[in-house]
Amino acid sequence: MKAESKRRVVITGYGMMTPLGRNTEETFSKASQGMSGIDTITAFDTANLPCRVGGQIKDEWIEEEDAQTERFYKFSSRGLRLMRKATQEAVKQARLEEITHRGRIGFSLGFHGESPEVQDVMFLHRFYDGQGTWDMASLLRSGGYSYLNFLRRKPDVATTILPKIFDCRGPNLTIASACAAGSQAIGEGYRLIQEGKADVMIAGGSEATLNFMGFVGFVLIHALVERYPTPQKASRPFDRKRNGFVMSEGAGAVILEELEHARSRRVLMLGEILGYGASADAYRITDTHPTGLGATLAMRGALEDASLTPEDVDYINAHGTSTTQNDVTETRAIKEVFGQRAKDIPVSSNKSMLGHTIAAAGAIELILTLVGLNRSILLPTINYEFPDPKCDLDYVPNEARTKEHRIAISNSFGFGGQNACLCVGKVEG
Amino acid sequence: MTEDRIVITGTGMVCALGKTPEEGWDVLLSGKTGIGPIEGFDAGGFACTSAAQIRDLNVAELGVHPRDARIMDTHSYLLMKSIRDAFQQAGLDRTSIPREEIGFFAGMGMVDYEVEDLLPAVVKSLDGRGHLDYSAFYSQAYTEIYPLWPLKMLNNIGFCQVATQLNIQGENTVFSPHGDSGAMAVTEGVKSVRSQRAQLVLCGGVSEKVNPSSLARAHLSGILNTVDPQKGFLCRPFAMDRKGTVLGEGCGVVALELESSARKRGISFVASMTGYGCSCEITSSHSGPTARAVSLAMREGLDRAGLKPSEIDLIIAHGDGTVSGDRNEIEAIQDVFSDCLNQIHIFSSKAALGHLLAGAPLIDVILGVRMLTEGIVPAMPHTSPPDPSIRFHVVQGTSLRKDVRRILINCQSYEGQAASLVLETVNR
Repeated sequence: MKAESKRRVVITGYGMMTPLGRNTEETFSKASQGMSGIDTITAFDTANLPCRVGGQIKDEWIEEEDAQTERFYKFSSRGLRLMRKATQEAVKQARLEEITHRGRIGFSLGFHGESPEVQDVMFLHRFYDGQGTWDMASLLRSGGYSYLNFLRRKPDVATTILPKIFDCRGPNLTIASACAAGSQAIGEGYRLIQEGKADVMIAGGSEATLNFMGFVGFVLIHALVERYPTPQKASRPFDRKRNGFVMSEGAGAVILEELEHARSRRVLMLGEILGYGASADAYRITDTHPTGLGATLAMRGALEDASLTPEDVDYINAHGTSTTQNDVTETRAIKEVFGQRAKDIPVSSNKSMLGHTIAAAGAIELILTLVGLNRSILLPTINYEFPDPKCDLDYVPNEARTKEHRIAISNSFGFGGQNACLCVGKVEG
Repeated sequence: MTEDRIVITGTGMVCALGKTPEEGWDVLLSGKTGIGPIEGFDAGGFACTSAAQIRDLNVAELGVHPRDARIMDTHSYLLMKSIRDAFQQAGLDRTSIPREEIGFFAGMGMVDYEVEDLLPAVVKSLDGRGHLDYSAFYSQAYTEIYPLWPLKMLNNIGFCQVATQLNIQGENTVFSPHGDSGAMAVTEGVKSVRSQRAQLVLCGGVSEKVNPSSLARAHLSGILNTVDPQKGFLCRPFAMDRKGTVLGEGCGVVALELESSARKRGISFVASMTGYGCSCEITSSHSGPTARAVSLAMREGLDRAGLKPSEIDLIIAHGDGTVSGDRNEIEAIQDVFSDCLNQIHIFSSKAALGHLLAGAPLIDVILGVRMLTEGIVPAMPHTSPPDPSIRFHVVQGTSLRKDVRRILINCQSYEGQAASLVLETVNR
């Protein structure tokens, strides 16, 4: 039984930075044309690696020159810079600066901190005898093992620094649940507003793992795509020839706001969060549950939270990573939840164009879902060429479709088996 | 109509003083401290060479598959041990709750990489003069790294391994890595049970492993007692001569469910979680929450529990023994409890167990449960006189016999967050 008095949560701003574009408009516009943001990696040497493609963000997109930025850069990792850009766009759209009660604005972000770099390890190696003994005195004296180095590695760096930059003194959460982090951060932010703990939450996620140490890990477990004709064709969710995901960097931020609070400010309401569900596969660390059990639980949880039935859903924004496993189990789970209707609901994966932005994916994909909802456009799953008999839903292949739709869900399933699903709709009533 | 209370039906705790809640409690009560010289690596180069480490954890009894063990480290073992104990006490191995009705929330500290994991790859790519040959590294040497190493680095992996081992499928989230994240996990758990999204939730908090990285991080952030490294009790919360905190290792897990559910399952319980609150505002010196934030969190927790300050019998303080952290907490307590200071007693577990960061709030909840049942508050082991500004009672020197029925627990992060929890006995 749910209390009837639950506060409603709408979205009044969003922002993103993706391999396809430096903001929401650019990303959505290119995605609606079915363009790919994937290319050969230039950030580091991939010469002998089996995967050489990724979704990079152009350095000039995140460069800025002003006094505040300079100070900020000293502390910032790439992921933090991306997050700041996405937040800036969202904050501006929602006109958050006009809100005086800053203690009612909080942050909830999916974030992981930065991987150590080869250089870091090399540097440390000079102070280590390989048998457990450190020359800590020399290491600390060298000054190279600085606090800033640690700060870059901390998952909470964004939720520590961004609230200061944007002057938000409300609740503050960092969610570290791999690929589900962005969605869970939005889900938790939504709940904080529902229960009255905040009026506004800046929620989303960011990821910048396109460096050697971040990348090589996924190479080693063979999670990344290894066979592709061109970089642009590497990410092919639900296609029979898919063989791994494409790693990308990016950030997404949404402004969640209590309905009446948004109304009183006369700010444009872009959509409503209707429900949130989370679950765990409890199966294996590297594999998803073969019958899509966790995915099913998350989707059902979101619908139940929204007091909706499977009949009400018009569009599914899939997790759709382009790995052999995910796309089959996700398809199974969708069939399990939606039964006979599954084949009639359009399902598409933004990762076909953007690659997998890990902790940012949930936020970016929710925003793209919402923009599609408002413009009556279903974004396509590109590179869909060879049907897979095990994946037999309507994946909106290759070309965007114009179609009125009201209610959508967006899936995010993480490494380790944490799952999240968000349900969104137009603001009605 | 009386509200269906949220009760604690299981606890699991590993800390420097013991590997179960019972053992940890008994040793704490005997006046011992878990803080001692750091073992496991040479901490000689650091200005603080002590910590409250876990010793002799029997990993074999956890039944972890060797394949999984390669991507586990101390923090994962701590979580696994604690949650199994809580699981058993809550009767989850005997009575059946649908797996998707069991939620799981945890605050997880930083997971640091061990240089050993990466070193072979680096050593293999050194040129004749001992410099790193990047082409050698990128072309071949990187394959020396264990393929699942990157997973070990993810903050949520220990969490997921535990979920897998115990087949927990319900709602979940990992909060990371602030000192208050364990309190966030409890708060989320309470909400999840209250709104019946889960029948039972397991809420945990895990410290960081004490290693060169975590020690250096704490040292560089200026929170450690580096002034008197050799002298007696290093962490002296609320003492006039406090000089900083000391790191601790450990983990706590509680099982929460509605009283009606526990009764139906025939599981006993002694304590109820009745309030929670949080606030965030960092001091200008970036050393933790302001007194105002600490006050707000406490007031919110009390409001939610429907209690007046005078109805609180004991405060388990954050009390980390840092100069400014304790000063702000003293100010906040004296503000909120101004009408009843002479009846308020304060205890901090950090004096004996060190600061467990994300793990600290859960340890305090579990110790609080013991205090409610035993009617005794352990003494902090140090004997330095309290800060002269203090107008409440600090429990130190000798333990205090008191019929404790309602406890306020404070938690903080150095990033400016304050959280409070309210714990009550069920026999009102």
